[in-house]
Amino acid sequence: MLPSVERDGRHGLWWPALVALPDVYGRVVGVTVLGVGGHAVTVEASVGRGLPSLTVTGLPGAAVQDARDRIRPAMEQAGLEWPLRRVVVNLAPGNLRKEGAGLDLPIAVSVLVATAQVPARSVPGFTFFGELSLKGEVLPTPGVISVAIAAARRGSSGVVVPAANAVEAAQVAGLRVVGVGTLQDVVGFLRGSWTAPDVQPVEPEQRPDAAADLAEVRGQEQARRALEVAAAGEHNLLMVGSPGAGKTMLARRLPTILPDMTHDEALEATQLHSVAGLLAGRGVLRQRPFRAPHHSVSTAGLLGGGSTVLRPGEASLAHRGVLFLDELTEFRRDAIEALRQPLEDGRIVVTRTSGSVEFPARFTLVAAANPCPCGFAGDIRKACRCREDQEARYRQKLSGPLLDRIDLRLTVPRLTKDELLGASGAEPSAVVRDRVVAARERQRHRYRRLGITCNAHLPGPLARRETRLSAGAEELLARAVDTMALTGRGFDRIVKVARTVADLEAMGDVAAGHVAEALSFRTAFEQDDGLARAG
Amino acid sequence: MPDSRAPLPHGFPDGFGEGPREADAVLVLRCLLGITPRDLFALIWRVGGASAACTAILQGSAGSDHDRAFLAGADPGAIRDRIGAAGARFAAPGDPEYWPAFLRLADPPVGIFVRGQPLADGHDRVALVGSRRPTPTGREVATHLARGLAAAGVVVVSGGAVGIDAAAHRGALDAGGSTVAVLGSGIDVDYPPSNGRLLRAVEQGGTIVGEYAPGVPAEPFRFPARNRLIAALSRGIVVVQGASRSGTRITAEHALELGLDVFAVPGSVTDPLAETPLDMIREGATMIRDADDLLLDLGIDPQRATDPDALPGLPAVQRSLLEALAAPMLPDAVARAAGVPVSDAISALVELELRGLVRGVGGRYERTFRAAPQRGSS
Repeated sequence: MLPSVERDGRHGLWWPALVALPDVYGRVVGVTVLGVGGHAVTVEASVGRGLPSLTVTGLPGAAVQDARDRIRPAMEQAGLEWPLRRVVVNLAPGNLRKEGAGLDLPIAVSVLVATAQVPARSVPGFTFFGELSLKGEVLPTPGVISVAIAAARRGSSGVVVPAANAVEAAQVAGLRVVGVGTLQDVVGFLRGSWTAPDVQPVEPEQRPDAAADLAEVRGQEQARRALEVAAAGEHNLLMVGSPGAGKTMLARRLPTILPDMTHDEALEATQLHSVAGLLAGRGVLRQRPFRAPHHSVSTAGLLGGGSTVLRPGEASLAHRGVLFLDELTEFRRDAIEALRQPLEDGRIVVTRTSGSVEFPARFTLVAAANPCPCGFAGDIRKACRCREDQEARYRQKLSGPLLDRIDLRLTVPRLTKDELLGASGAEPSAVVRDRVVAARERQRHRYRRLGITCNAHLPGPLARRETRLSAGAEELLARAVDTMALTGRGFDRIVKVARTVADLEAMGDVAAGHVAEALSFRTAFEQDDGLARAG
Repeated sequence: MPDSRAPLPHGFPDGFGEGPREADAVLVLRCLLGITPRDLFALIWRVGGASAACTAILQGSAGSDHDRAFLAGADPGAIRDRIGAAGARFAAPGDPEYWPAFLRLADPPVGIFVRGQPLADGHDRVALVGSRRPTPTGREVATHLARGLAAAGVVVVSGGAVGIDAAAHRGALDAGGSTVAVLGSGIDVDYPPSNGRLLRAVEQGGTIVGEYAPGVPAEPFRFPARNRLIAALSRGIVVVQGASRSGTRITAEHALELGLDVFAVPGSVTDPLAETPLDMIREGATMIRDADDLLLDLGIDPQRATDPDALPGLPAVQRSLLEALAAPMLPDAVARAAGVPVSDAISALVELELRGLVRGVGGRYERTFRAAPQRGSS
């Protein structure tokens, strides 16, 4: 250890170096992103007597510990001086676990302040965030939008973030955004010799790939209508149908008829994508996300998790959008069961030994499944080859608590050529979306006292109380209870869906026709505990 | 050794099964699984009796090694205990519960196992057979026919399996009638297991019959043999739905051999499940459309089994949709065919569904059997 000090010509002998220089101190503000939220961290650096080393205190996570070895080469490569003395960095508050490489930059700047390589008066008011490379570059770092939100909440006037993520930070109003590419940029900025370029606003994205439109769906009128009802009332949807019926094609068109996201919704969705590192240079998500995880996804992949850094899962990435589970029966049972929490609360709490974090996850669930193991039960062209017990086991798989939260359960038939040719022209997504927007507005107004926004979120007992049924609708429901063996939950679901159908027609009361349409959407089911025999 | 195809007389040789030793021999013979009923029957005629047949098998002139091993250690008392424990009885030729018509078979069973109510003479019995994987309509027709037969006092015979069999047994029991399930597995084995509840109900309100001793598992090759007993127990047989080369086909052929009345419910020429019924009609089976047709042809006074007023009083929109619904159709296609707006059509189809006149199948609607045009007195 001693020789390295001795080799340093600037201080001559090592002994005078240790006694002559006073202890120095620097302080800047950084942010750690836990889950989806940014938490401000005060980063203090003290450079003082002792052998050259860097110690980080204040509950640093694994990625922060890594920074110890990264920061010195990064500074030296950037032409800055690393103090050959004992450096102690403290991260406050000390009771909060710090995760992520985004603390590299504030740690480096705190040392620069302590060693007077940048003026101490230049840092207050700014929040620093970014990962460093060994060459001194400031790398793109996940979670910048959460950092900006935390910085604004704390009263920072500006943020210094990776240039690649500057556009994310720019989504937060009233914050000066300094996008930096290298450590030299940061030093230049703090010394007043370099000015960050203005953040280029990104073009708002087009609606989800302009090619997808409801107008291209030939035939399948009932499925198209079910999508509209699902969009209008935020109902979850299950489509049961043979391979080739068009379930995936239909699901992909659900986002095209959902209302545009509000600014707050867009920020929430963007935050999750930013934290997951999926924003790829986009400033803010304008289109509602559509996530279609493969059925081999792990529970952590679907719901969020990870061993050290907790990442949002597919359910959270679908926040404010659509989560599409194709081949529902193929998913891991525990993953499917765990979806109950987000479907109920709109959020996911992930708990690990390092603590627990909460990810928002309010999405519309669209699930698709074959009617039987071979896929052709109920098909009119191909015979089903399944044994009765195989089919019973399959239906068992489709039943369960998840199904309780799916209001719309539709059979999607594989169309014959004649049926496709005979189909009438369909409405474009934009026309349907206008009706959806109006129906949602009506629900928001009606439920403003209840703290909910749509029919699907209406708890069962409330659904019966809040929904005015015409005499004809009451009578039809009563007969349906007798004939179709509706359970209590099944009854509530029909009422909610009928309410949405009426909202689409701007009707105050639910009429018999609305109930009839709601009943027509449950063709895939005989009982609430599972799929009926489809054929 | 006589040619096994040479015609054998009907029934068993005189003295077969008489006396305790012969009775025990009949019982253990019936527990053998390695020799077919036909070979056993031929052997009995060759050697003259049950005990002699046991000896012949032990000496290796017939049967399998497994049979010899079984015979060497067979304890008739233990077997009888096992049968008793399963709630079953054993009936040999000459016993009241051994149905004499079995003796008309070219390969009569040397004995049968029975559970539930006694298998009595003096009842008309008609078999209802068909696919294990019928369509909802097929199920509905089977239930309807079984109800009609039961209401007229006819005992419904079927194979105790799923599909048409289950619908037939259930229909007969629902109508307060009696039914006979002929099992292809051991007399105490529920196959498939999901049928357990139905078989309990059959045991209560009817009879379970089978050729196999307690504990014999269900195997595909045992079902065709079961079908000859179904035919022998019945005076007529009705084929509801069945693909070609199916077990249904085998039962129908046994029925033709025994000279029973054979009836068939027709289906569409394009429907694979209509192949056997349509074949049977070509070969001279009587085509029936409902229980009235069947009872009329059986010479039994038809009790009106159909719902008398399913159709009258139907609103115009519902009636026109029902008329337009020729085959399984999409809701919008029915609406177009009937000239009704789609939204009205959906309401009307749901109304029709609640009335039991249409049903949804795989995303399309089809007419139920109940919506079939009414005939006869009305």
